[in-house]
Amino acid sequence: MRRTRPAAAVLALALALTAACSSGTTGAADAGQPVSGGSLTWAIETEPITFNPHQYAQAKARLLVWNSFEALLTHDAQGGYVPWLATGYEVSPDGKTYTFKLRTDVTFSDGTKFDAAAVKANVDQFQVEGYNPQVLAVQLRNLASVEVADASTVVFKLTQPDVLLLDFLSSPQGAQVSPKSLKEARNLKAGGPELAGTGPFILDRYTAGQEVHFTRNPAYNWAPATAGHSGPAYLDEVTYRFLKESSVRVGALTSGQVQVIEGVPATDEALITANKQLTLGRGLNSGSAFSYYFNTAHAPFDDIRVRRAFREAVDVDAVLTGVYRGSATRAWSVIGPTSPFYDKTLEKTYGGDAAEANRLLDEAGWSARDAEGFRTKDGKRLTVRLVQSAPFIRDRRDVLAQAVQAQVKQSAGIDLTVTVADQGTAAKALADGAYEVFENSRADTDAGAALSLLLTSTGSINRTGFKDAGLDRLLQDGQASTDQAKRLAAYQQVQKLVITDQALILPLYAPADQIAFGNTVGGVGFEPTAGVPGSAYNVWLSK
Amino acid sequence: MIRAVTRRVVTGVAVLWAAATAAYLALLAAPGDIVDSIIGDGADTPQIRAEIISEWNLDRPAVVQYLDYLWRAAQGDLGRSYLLHRPVHDVIGGQILPTLKLAAAAAVFGVLLALILAVTTRHRWVRRASSTAELFLVSTPPFLIGIVLLSVFSFRFGIFPVSGDRGGAALVLPAITLGLPIAGVLAQVLRDGLDRALDEPFAVTARARGLRERAVLIRHALRHALMPAVTMLGWLSGVLLGGVVIIEQVFGRPGLGQVTLQAVGNGDMPVVLAVVVLAAVVFVVISTLADLAYLLIDPRLRRS
Repeated sequence: MRRTRPAAAVLALALALTAACSSGTTGAADAGQPVSGGSLTWAIETEPITFNPHQYAQAKARLLVWNSFEALLTHDAQGGYVPWLATGYEVSPDGKTYTFKLRTDVTFSDGTKFDAAAVKANVDQFQVEGYNPQVLAVQLRNLASVEVADASTVVFKLTQPDVLLLDFLSSPQGAQVSPKSLKEARNLKAGGPELAGTGPFILDRYTAGQEVHFTRNPAYNWAPATAGHSGPAYLDEVTYRFLKESSVRVGALTSGQVQVIEGVPATDEALITANKQLTLGRGLNSGSAFSYYFNTAHAPFDDIRVRRAFREAVDVDAVLTGVYRGSATRAWSVIGPTSPFYDKTLEKTYGGDAAEANRLLDEAGWSARDAEGFRTKDGKRLTVRLVQSAPFIRDRRDVLAQAVQAQVKQSAGIDLTVTVADQGTAAKALADGAYEVFENSRADTDAGAALSLLLTSTGSINRTGFKDAGLDRLLQDGQASTDQAKRLAAYQQVQKLVITDQALILPLYAPADQIAFGNTVGGVGFEPTAGVPGSAYNVWLSK
Repeated sequence: MIRAVTRRVVTGVAVLWAAATAAYLALLAAPGDIVDSIIGDGADTPQIRAEIISEWNLDRPAVVQYLDYLWRAAQGDLGRSYLLHRPVHDVIGGQILPTLKLAAAAAVFGVLLALILAVTTRHRWVRRASSTAELFLVSTPPFLIGIVLLSVFSFRFGIFPVSGDRGGAALVLPAITLGLPIAGVLAQVLRDGLDRALDEPFAVTARARGLRERAVLIRHALRHALMPAVTMLGWLSGVLLGGVVIIEQVFGRPGLGQVTLQAVGNGDMPVVLAVVVLAAVVFVVISTLADLAYLLIDPRLRRS
């Protein structure tokens, strides 16, 4: 046991590193060469609320989407766009017209042909009232119209330049559903077997509360160049079983009742790494890092010195080690470290300086202390409130909040109150401004999408109350250009502004996903750029 | 007879209406509104809110929505789930059978085990050991019992599968997990009942007639001891419904528990209401059965 541990740790680290670099697959060494056939059982943590990709809202459900649905574009490992159901696209010089050429050899699993009219039907579906107002208000807010030029050419007209259209068209919400299903499905928004897609598997059975079952689509022959192989999937069938308890998932894996599991919390990692028959892989998610956003709309965080003091009062490394046993990756910016827009120069520029925290608070007038040791000003305690919505707590974020709470109390006399509430109460607290700290992470593949929601003055998740025309302009620049260098320059300034200049945010950790699997399984890996577990297309079972 | 039946039906309907109304009021009083719940932690703008409100007709006064709900429920239309976008009878219908199977298996196991324990552990130290074990089972969280049973019988020895509603083998561990605490409580109640019955004059008479102690116990005393146990049937239905929430989660079983948990957490009003009404139906049915059981067990009640 003692001897294998370091080796396992090194292996896990190596896997984590390769996964962080978004390599396609892991664990190929044990299972040998890919073989066709077999049925695989995969235990996952989250039962999706919907199987309609247009309604997708749970990053944890993404690995299911790409089994039966596909998008026009996908991402390569560097965050760039590569063709999938489209063969390519052109952007007009003014950035307002995107013309896509489509593959002509693709059919939906219900026999409907995939063509430009199908693409238009999919995007137009979002205009139906109540279908998905959130996508309409965010991802498609600059879309004017979709036009069919010919059977294999579709044109997107925008009201203003918006490169995030490409992100939409490579995201689950932009996945292509058979127009026939869109018209005929009885429970369209719930999805399920009655929705046909073009993917390598067909969802044929869903038992709520238990499992969802896919069978191979034998006609599939249009994998993107980055997929790793071509033609139909290796597996005959794959069953995803919903096991919400992590210890039960791990037990099911170690006893061979399932071959792959998703979601291995830090507390259970040792069970996997200590077992030579099992492999653990970790992928850092794209999008925004898990961060605390300070509400600048009222005291005390309207004072930048208090914001800085809070950040200095937390020793993030110590907190993460305590809560996640060294398995979490610290975040230094609002953007996750695997994003092409991540600004590495922010690392180690702030945080963990209790003396500085106390100096700043004294300077800001919070110099007196009450009987419990908390700082006060004019007889009022330095209290800041964090309200967590119970249905959305994951990654032990409640425990993390308690650790931060203990730290800021001890090192600087700040009173962080943490409330775990139902969704209604939490939403009300946000609406009433009855909070000083807001926590969030977003799994958008293009981090720019997350930033415009969280940071623009009118952003629909702007909880900092910080409004700045310069920041809005930078975010607009980052979103308008297809030139990666220009976008990078804009987003680097954004990060400098919100992290260094304004101290609006305390980044904590980069959200990650873990997969563990036995040595009979090959080809399990993470989706390039997104960093979440990939679909079952590449997975095989050795005989 | 007809009058008795009519009274039963009328009180039953009244209980259903009261349950639905109480649940409706409770949800109305809960902080945050339905739109907040539907939006979740996603994007939130006035335009998005307006669309959600018009999609679900949430702009009507609460009283109108309540009356509309009652009217449609009376016609058998429970509405659509805000969260899952499927008709509520679909959402719940598919989950009733697995839960019923689990609850029935657990109840049968629990009751049988309780009977066996109460009748066979009459000697002083066996009785004390059994009583301690029962207390231990009652006070251990079912979650823990489930994990321990899984670790031993599924993960270690591979006798039973870990999850799902797939055949009898998958039902064994969840039913035992749910049934053990029930057996614990019932065994204590039965034992008390037996003690009291065996002190009664009729027990002395029976013994004087030359009946063996075992026959006195099973033919005479047990009947008396059953009365308080039957009174606990209503409690039993509550324990079963509450217990399945945790058991289904641990064992990855489909069922009402999971549906209820998700619906309450997300403010999915139509589903919550349907579950409450369903629970009320179960309660009415079980208490009717309990009343019938009294008649069956105690001939004196039949005459009056």
